[in-house]
Amino acid sequence: MSLAEEYTGTDEDSRLSQSVAHLRRNRRAYLLIAPAAVFLLAVVGYPILETFRLSLYRSPADSTIETFVGLQHYVEIVNSDIFYRLIWQTGRWVLVGVAGKTLLGLLIAVHLKGDIKGRKFFRTAFLIPWGIPYAISAVVFRWIEHPQFGYLNAVLLKLGVIEQGIGILGNPDIAWLGVVVADIWIGTPFMAIIFLAGLQSIPQDLYEAAAIDGAERWHQFRYITLPQLKSVILMATLLSTIWTFVSFDVIWTMTGGGPISTTATLVIHIYQVGLQNGNLGRGAAYSVIGFLFLLLFAIVYLRVYTRGGDEL
Amino acid sequence: MMPEDSKGQPSEETLDRRQLLQALGAGGMIAIAGCTGGGNGDDAGSDGNGGNGGGGGGDDGGSDKQSVQFLTMGVGDNIKQFFEENNTAFEEEYGVDVEFTSVTWDNARQTVNNRVDGGQAPDVSRWPARWIPQLVGKDALEPVDDLMDGEFGEKFADGVAEGTMYNGSHYGVPWAASNKCLYYNKDVFEAAGLDPENPSLDTWDDMLSAAQTITDSDEVSVPALGLAGADAIETGSQYYHYHWSHGADLVDDEGMPVVNSDGAVDALSFYANLHLEHGVTQASPLSSTRQDIRQLFENGDLGMVIGHVYTGLNITESQENGDVDFEYGIVQVPKGPEGRYSLFTIDTLGILSQSEHKDIARDLIRFYFDEERRFQYSKQKGFLPVVKSVGERPYFSESKNWAPFVQAGQYARARPKLSNFSEFNDRMVQAIQEALADQKSPQKALNDAQSDLEDAMN
Repeated sequence: MSLAEEYTGTDEDSRLSQSVAHLRRNRRAYLLIAPAAVFLLAVVGYPILETFRLSLYRSPADSTIETFVGLQHYVEIVNSDIFYRLIWQTGRWVLVGVAGKTLLGLLIAVHLKGDIKGRKFFRTAFLIPWGIPYAISAVVFRWIEHPQFGYLNAVLLKLGVIEQGIGILGNPDIAWLGVVVADIWIGTPFMAIIFLAGLQSIPQDLYEAAAIDGAERWHQFRYITLPQLKSVILMATLLSTIWTFVSFDVIWTMTGGGPISTTATLVIHIYQVGLQNGNLGRGAAYSVIGFLFLLLFAIVYLRVYTRGGDEL
Repeated sequence: MMPEDSKGQPSEETLDRRQLLQALGAGGMIAIAGCTGGGNGDDAGSDGNGGNGGGGGGDDGGSDKQSVQFLTMGVGDNIKQFFEENNTAFEEEYGVDVEFTSVTWDNARQTVNNRVDGGQAPDVSRWPARWIPQLVGKDALEPVDDLMDGEFGEKFADGVAEGTMYNGSHYGVPWAASNKCLYYNKDVFEAAGLDPENPSLDTWDDMLSAAQTITDSDEVSVPALGLAGADAIETGSQYYHYHWSHGADLVDDEGMPVVNSDGAVDALSFYANLHLEHGVTQASPLSSTRQDIRQLFENGDLGMVIGHVYTGLNITESQENGDVDFEYGIVQVPKGPEGRYSLFTIDTLGILSQSEHKDIARDLIRFYFDEERRFQYSKQKGFLPVVKSVGERPYFSESKNWAPFVQAGQYARARPKLSNFSEFNDRMVQAIQEALADQKSPQKALNDAQSDLEDAMN
């Protein structure tokens, strides 16, 4: 046995024995989480596997008979134009939505942390949009943006800014913006509250020391607040990304994915294909692709942000 | 050194009783959380008092009564009492329980399919005739030829009974029917200098000419014509009048798509140009559902719209309540170069194959087809009478609101019965939107739709 093999063997033996020892040490903990793990496997793992199985079958709307087609759905999806359009529209929806919620949330949190008049009132008021069911908020925004009955058009017409009502949600070029504004309005309070909690955990001493050293407010924000908030921002944006990606009710209520499918995201398309049109196999294939996207995103995101060895 | 537990025993010793109880307790809590956190998605849109998705076994609470599950859609305030009273009457007369559930139309198709797939189908369900092939393909619908071929079937108006047929059998009893006419606002016509009592609205060109006159008039500030263009199933329903009357079809005799014929291109060009070239519609048709334009008309804020009978009934009610004070007229849907058509929709009442109470289900259907009940249903709900003797009542023939729709029966045309009609219609709506948004020429929009539909149906 070479020295290298000896070392390798020794390393492997050592790792194995360490693992065994670790398991023995933490047996009670593993035992306690075992029921939860089994439960999660049943309610999360099984549906994922079943969705993947379903994606390998063709299941016409008018039949319960399933025909095995292998990866045909995936090949057809990847070769279709609509798939790339959906990726673009979903990416645009998530990127602008999460960025808007993060920036606005941060802005609100920073101001709510300061000693402003009516701080308690504003803290409560900013939570209201988050407490309203999403579908109701979406209906309200749909009404606000309605070309005939909408508040926005009524105000603009009254002010003489426009001569005829604008149908934001009916314009294929800007409909997605009309929906993303509603999503940002709904999602910002959550980000603001999370950021506010993070801000309150930053020791005040750091700011006092920086002030003594002559640091301006922007420099304090840049070199104290942001680094200290890094893990909070990471988790909040990761969660927001996942929620925005899988968001259904706001888009569906406001536009149903239209006009001309310009506001449809992957999730909306999955619903249309799988449940509305009864093509469960094709819908399941889209679902698996969406799941892989999110998984890949979460892995890359966490790797990039924890590269410096930070733990969440 | 090995970690020790609180009693100083090595932790790799066998599991003690307390640890086991802890683990079981944790598992139990999770199980309870899982159970309580669940829900029966099938009941999402229910506003009925039953609908627990059970098997209808009739053993609840020790009762030996049989029960029949009756599922319907879109029960609003105007008809809720009708069902409550009649379900109670049926229960008393037949000694059975009626588990009544109403779901919204958005959830209707999915709810019924979920219940069928899950082995929990209702005994009786309302079901649009155009969706019959989908459930028949699953062997989920019971043929009711025994009912329809006998004396019971003779009570239905001509052509209505045929609407429930598929593959040579009746898969339901005609429950509700609706068709369309063209409404016009007499006050708007008068203000624009058009004759409100004898409007010239016989053809699409007549309609366009009137719309242009209204649009050009300085005395009128409301849009002349309501045009549906939103991403909704009803956009197709509004457009098909134009399509058919230009000699175009949706599918051929073999059920294959034929949506890009010359007539179809003419029809879509006309439809899109009402907005793009002539500018006689409300702002942003792509934002407007059929409900939106109907609401505009009912508020008195629109010159013309294609609508159901209940548009007139709603306006009459608003007039009586003093909410609106305009006058309206109803004429037939304009004709095109190849004829005149009024979109005709039939919903059926079907018996599901999984039902274990098919006899009671048949009794329930017979009960609801009592002539007086059918009269009350049509009158209150605003659907065309499907029973001949009800349709012949003066209430309909002499009514300003009903008479044009009874007359429109001769122009009735239904959408094709396709198992994937929803997908088909979605693609047609996309083509309509592409033309309305001027993203594609009508020819290109329909060619692309034809190509996609051929792929989908092969």
